Amino acid sequence: MTQPQNDTDRLPDELIENLIRSLEHTKEEECTCDEVYAVVDQYVEAEFRGEDVQRLMPLIKQHMELCHNCCEEYEALLDILEKNDPA
Amino acid sequence: MNARTNESWLEDLRTPGPVRDAALDDLHAIVSKGLPYALSRWLSPDDPLFTPLVEEVSQETLLRVLDQLDTFEGRSMFTTWVHKIAIRIALTELRRKRWQDSSLDELVDNEENPAPERLMADPQAGPETSTERADMLTRIRRILDEELTEKQRQALVLLGLQDLPMEEAARIMKTNRNALYKLLHDARLRLKRRLAAEDLNAQEVLSAFESR
Repeated sequence: MTQPQNDTDRLPDELIENLIRSLEHTKEEECTCDEVYAVVDQYVEAEFRGEDVQRLMPLIKQHMELCHNCCEEYEALLDILEKNDPA
Repeated sequence: MNARTNESWLEDLRTPGPVRDAALDDLHAIVSKGLPYALSRWLSPDDPLFTPLVEEVSQETLLRVLDQLDTFEGRSMFTTWVHKIAIRIALTELRRKRWQDSSLDELVDNEENPAPERLMADPQAGPETSTERADMLTRIRRILDEELTEKQRQALVLLGLQDLPMEEAARIMKTNRNALYKLLHDARLRLKRRLAAEDLNAQEVLSAFESR
């Protein structure tokens, strides 16, 4: 495994660009991963029912824009609800 | 078996003996049926690891559900809450495995071939880089050096450069996924405030980056 590097000069341009891009979604108040995990089941059910989750739970939606891991878990849960739906 | 209400799931799972066993059997069937939908983006159902993973995750999910039963607040369907637990277990395992496999590939690459280009990239190089872009990159690197803590830089390198999953990066940094997110949030906020103090915003920086 490659050892961690702490020198900013070694960061590739692309990584710096991604970091700057993430600033567009950065807010003073953000949900943490634990806070998102606590409600993601409600969030997915609301989306599945066709509710406007961006308006109802804006901080959760915003976290998904920034946290790839939480977004993957949300999408996987939505997949189960949508594809497992007996209707 | 899908007719159970949230209350009856809780009641049955809290009743020792055949009632709980029957509820666990039903829950196992529900998790095993749902998981393949969630995993299909990650692993082909034809992969020999697929079926054992579904079974392993289903078993682990049942143990966690019993352990965390008192934390269920009834704000979603019980089965959605259970699927959420199963997905966390499954994706954590798949991310760890995928990262371990890619790390092994990288080690082999380093023995036989030059290191991957992304790790060798010389940030100063590139004849196509315009002066505006180069100047902005130098400025942003200076800001990063001045604003970010050593831990924040380490997190950026682990996640952005070495491409570790959050859980693995957190483990290396002796923290957890939640604290790591907070650390990065703080880094982004510091950077955003500093850009504002220098009369810059993200859009302007990105525009400069795009000028080649």
